Amino acid sequence: MNELSTDNHKNSSSLSIKDLLKKVFFIDLIQGLFITFNYTFTKTITERYPDDEKWIPYKRFRGLHTLNRNKEGKELCVGCELCQKSCPTQCITVIPMEDKTGKGIADRIAYRWEINLLRCMFCGLCEDACPTEALKLGREYELASFSMQRQIRSKEELIKPQPIPVEFEGGVIVRATLEKGDKEIKVKPDLSVQKRWW
Amino acid sequence: MATVKINGKEITIDDGTLILDAAKTAGFDIPTMCFHARLSKLASCRVCLVEIVGQKKLQPSCVTPVMHGMEVLTESPVVKSARSSMIELLLANHPLDCPVCDKGGECELQDITFKFGPRQSPFGDNKRRFNEEDYILSPVIVQNANRCIQCKRCVRICAETVGVGVLGSIERGAKTGETSFVREYLDCDHCGNCIEVCPVGSLMSRSYRYKSRPWDLKGVDTVCVYCGTGCQLTVQARKDEVVRVISKPEEGINNETLCARGRYGYSFINSIDRLLVPMVRMGNTLEPTTWEDAVRAVRNGLSEAINKGKKIGGIASSRLSNEELYLFQKLMRGVLKTNNIDSGSRWDTAAVKTYAEIMELSKGGLSIYDALNTDTLLILGFGISDENPVTDYIIRRISGNKKMNIIMASPRGMKLDNSAVLSIRHNPGTEGVIIGGILKLIYDKNINSLKNLGGKDYLKDLSKEKVSDITKTAWQDIEAASGYIMASNTITVAVGSDVLRVPSRIEFLRMLIEALRILGKDVKLFPLFDRSNQRGALEMGVHPDILPGYNFIDGDGLGADGIIDAASRGEVGALYLAGEDILSDFPDGVFAREALRQTKFLVVQDILPTETTEFADVILPGSSHAEKDGTFTNGERRIQLVRKAIEPLGGKADWETICLVAKALGIKNMEYSSPSEIWDELAGLAPMFAGVNHKKLEPDGIQWPCPDIDHPGTAIMYTEKFNRPNGKALFNFREHIASAEVPDDKYPLILSTGRRRQHYNNGSMTRRSNAIFNQWPEESLELNPFDARRFNIKDSEKVLASSRRGEMEVKVHVTDRVQPGITFLAFHNRDALTNLLTNDALDPVCKIPEYKSCAIKIEKLNGHK
Ligand code: SF4
Ligand code: SF4
Ligand code: SF4
Ligand code: SF4
Ligand code: SF4
Ligand code: FES
Repeated sequence: MNELSTDNHKNSSSLSIKDLLKKVFFIDLIQGLFITFNYTFTKTITERYPDDEKWIPYKRFRGLHTLNRNKEGKELCVGCELCQKSCPTQCITVIPMEDKTGKGIADRIAYRWEINLLRCMFCGLCEDACPTEALKLGREYELASFSMQRQIRSKEELIKPQPIPVEFEGGVIVRATLEKGDKEIKVKPDLSVQKRWW
Repeated sequence: MATVKINGKEITIDDGTLILDAAKTAGFDIPTMCFHARLSKLASCRVCLVEIVGQKKLQPSCVTPVMHGMEVLTESPVVKSARSSMIELLLANHPLDCPVCDKGGECELQDITFKFGPRQSPFGDNKRRFNEEDYILSPVIVQNANRCIQCKRCVRICAETVGVGVLGSIERGAKTGETSFVREYLDCDHCGNCIEVCPVGSLMSRSYRYKSRPWDLKGVDTVCVYCGTGCQLTVQARKDEVVRVISKPEEGINNETLCARGRYGYSFINSIDRLLVPMVRMGNTLEPTTWEDAVRAVRNGLSEAINKGKKIGGIASSRLSNEELYLFQKLMRGVLKTNNIDSGSRWDTAAVKTYAEIMELSKGGLSIYDALNTDTLLILGFGISDENPVTDYIIRRISGNKKMNIIMASPRGMKLDNSAVLSIRHNPGTEGVIIGGILKLIYDKNINSLKNLGGKDYLKDLSKEKVSDITKTAWQDIEAASGYIMASNTITVAVGSDVLRVPSRIEFLRMLIEALRILGKDVKLFPLFDRSNQRGALEMGVHPDILPGYNFIDGDGLGADGIIDAASRGEVGALYLAGEDILSDFPDGVFAREALRQTKFLVVQDILPTETTEFADVILPGSSHAEKDGTFTNGERRIQLVRKAIEPLGGKADWETICLVAKALGIKNMEYSSPSEIWDELAGLAPMFAGVNHKKLEPDGIQWPCPDIDHPGTAIMYTEKFNRPNGKALFNFREHIASAEVPDDKYPLILSTGRRRQHYNNGSMTRRSNAIFNQWPEESLELNPFDARRFNIKDSEKVLASSRRGEMEVKVHVTDRVQPGITFLAFHNRDALTNLLTNDALDPVCKIPEYKSCAIKIEKLNGHK
């Protein structure tokens, strides 16, 4: 290493004719601009987000939590509190209750299921702990909001299907529209119009 | 002693110790499932198998005792694989629905599977299912029989300890049916002990159903507030809501058992109608106000009474802590300069004093286990199975393991009768005469040795006929009782507070005790109290004639009955009721109501609205036992810590409120930073508590006397003989006066009143606990089948019951718990307003209203209306 650096030092100390010409005719600049110029004729890799494009992540993505139902539409969450127990940052609160109306897959359902996103680090341990596969970390990632209160999400919201269905493969950019609500800004995807980016 | 080697470690241990216990001593834990230390041995699960060197078959360590020279292996490969297979078998039919199951997180099956069990199961067959949905077994139990592992702990505890035996199962082996109710749920005590011992989630508590997980709960160890047994329990809260009460296997005299009240009577704590803000009367209504204003109003009311020279009275409930009772009596005596102070309003004040003397309360007493180390146990004047259920369990459990004659004397049948050799049924209020009869027999046979017996003259006119006539008891029973007593060397006399209601001839008890001692018998006295801190109240001096530490005085103070009496004549200027619902408690409701109306200024400090609070001029919100620190003293003089589980909902604990009132009255030396400081002050006043402080009371409490700080407390004491020399005992004899109202043709039945196992006094606390209240949603009048036939009344029929003073509609429960001619109604239910029916004739000698009985008639409703 040392030898190498002394070599470099020797070379740079004497300015050659070639280098001088390069400087005079902006060769480096032209070379750089040429690359830039070339890219204007290749596919675009940037996204027009949030105005009219949005990236849909892969299934394995760990975003906002979602509580799922089974095929018959019954709530899968049985309020077992295991997610709460497994969470390293203690941001989940589950209060179970008895329900005999058949809303859930058992007579025990979550009366309250709440997550404090300000503390969540999206590690996914809660998902691993869930015995009924009720809890998944979904593909919602636009979590900024105008109020702190909004960072506490409860079952009522999480049990609604997220805009991106579970079956949807992801890994694409789709067309989207920017929607400004009073609580937050959302970019609404239109999954039917998509383009692969590679 | 036997020397055994366990996993190579040699220990020497008592003969007959179970291998299980020996291994624990040696430091090896053997898993168990069906084993329970205080129940009979079953050895059905085989999880506890161990290898004994030299024996081919593995042995269950929970039933096999050690033998000298034995070599035991608990961790050998054979044992490990056998253990794992046994667990595999338990799991073969187990549904594994842990996420739903309420036991999850504290399930013994989960724990042992995790620790020792197989990681997978080879069984692919469908699991056996008894039920598709959990079902409600009783008002307190919900069951999922699929999870049952047939350990029969529930069956055993219900039969052996609780003594009702409503659980069972049929068939054997893999075909075993579900373990569940084999009798009607009305026979169930609703005590929940089966739930507590069930190792899995087969029997579950209804009130705790799907409320939480054990790891979310914060618990404090405290003492039950409902009766004088003083069971230790753990109140568990999730956030600020108390969600359940459990008990610990190794702590307290109750050893894991609790009764229905202790286990389920907590809902009142978070009840929505709790009194949370102070209220002051404005004209006809009570208006919410601030603490400052309320306390100022109290000060003004009390000062006015003082200035006008009117009487001031104070009645504190004996469910307040020792510290609060002490402060209350300090406020009354020290600040308001009056001895008109009492705890509870049900008893004759003078009789309480006599009782305290006869039962030698000031000398201490025995622990319950000591008292039960006896040949004959005489239980008198107490519905023990209903009032002190856990004492009943303890007696049953101990009497099951050894020879002990139990003699029960009570007007109404009860569970413990099954364990008794003799049950004497007598007319309500005639306990003293029963004792007189027994004493008479003993005296007649031992005239020579008993010639110095004090008060023997009173026995002269007590003939066999007279006793039978007053008590309505067969003379043979009394003969049998005296026979058992004379044949024993050690006799424990357990006397309950019922004798304080109709205390005539309570002196016979004093004579009987003395006579037996003269005859060379070892007499142990065991007082039974129905309220959690009744004994504490006496020890703290909440009695007109007793100063803290049992300093008896002959003061001029009035007891509760005297105060009410004076109030009815308009002589009372101010009355301070701390936690006492006098209208439900006082024998004669009509009279007490009138007395409260005549009282110029009434302060009520209570946690829940009662009838009495409606009469209040100022209401100060009280705090429940879960909201403060303090101590209770149980019947066996054990001082135990009551701990705070949640902050006082009304903002102040009772002791703080009393201090505030004192401060408002300009008193300087009644400011404390904690109950422990109050305790230290009172300990300084009474030598028997001198060495006790709050820190020292963990975990099991201390039995006084404990004269200095290094003293461990005194479990057994009281070897001295009778403190008054022969023939010189002070007598305050009262003849038996027949009930002022004897049944006649017009009102042919006797109505007696008392309480039910599931309720506590006026029921204002227990009725708020749905788990309990559901069991007796409607008060019913107990009627003997014989009378039911006589009046042509069916079970559950509604009838009109009337006395000379009032009438009420009530449902009839036909049962042989009551004798023919006697009916029973509990006083827990406000709707029933039992005390409208009771007798307002004051006992002419001791002025106590006849609480236990009056004459009534019942009529069929359809014929009447
Ligand atoms: S993702 Fe991790 S931090 Fe977030 S709730 Fe789940 S367990 Fe907790
Ligand atoms: S989401 Fe899953 S882990 Fe959490 S309470 Fe519901 S069932 Fe249990
Ligand atoms: S609650 Fe008590 S009485 Fe009822 S079944 Fe259980 S143990 Fe027996
Ligand atoms: S219900 Fe519980 S305690 Fe009773 S036999 Fe079954 S597992 Fe054992
Ligand atoms: S026996 Fe008495 S102290 Fe024990 S739990 Fe029942 S009411 Fe409470
Ligand atoms: S615990 Fe020993 S056989 Fe069940």
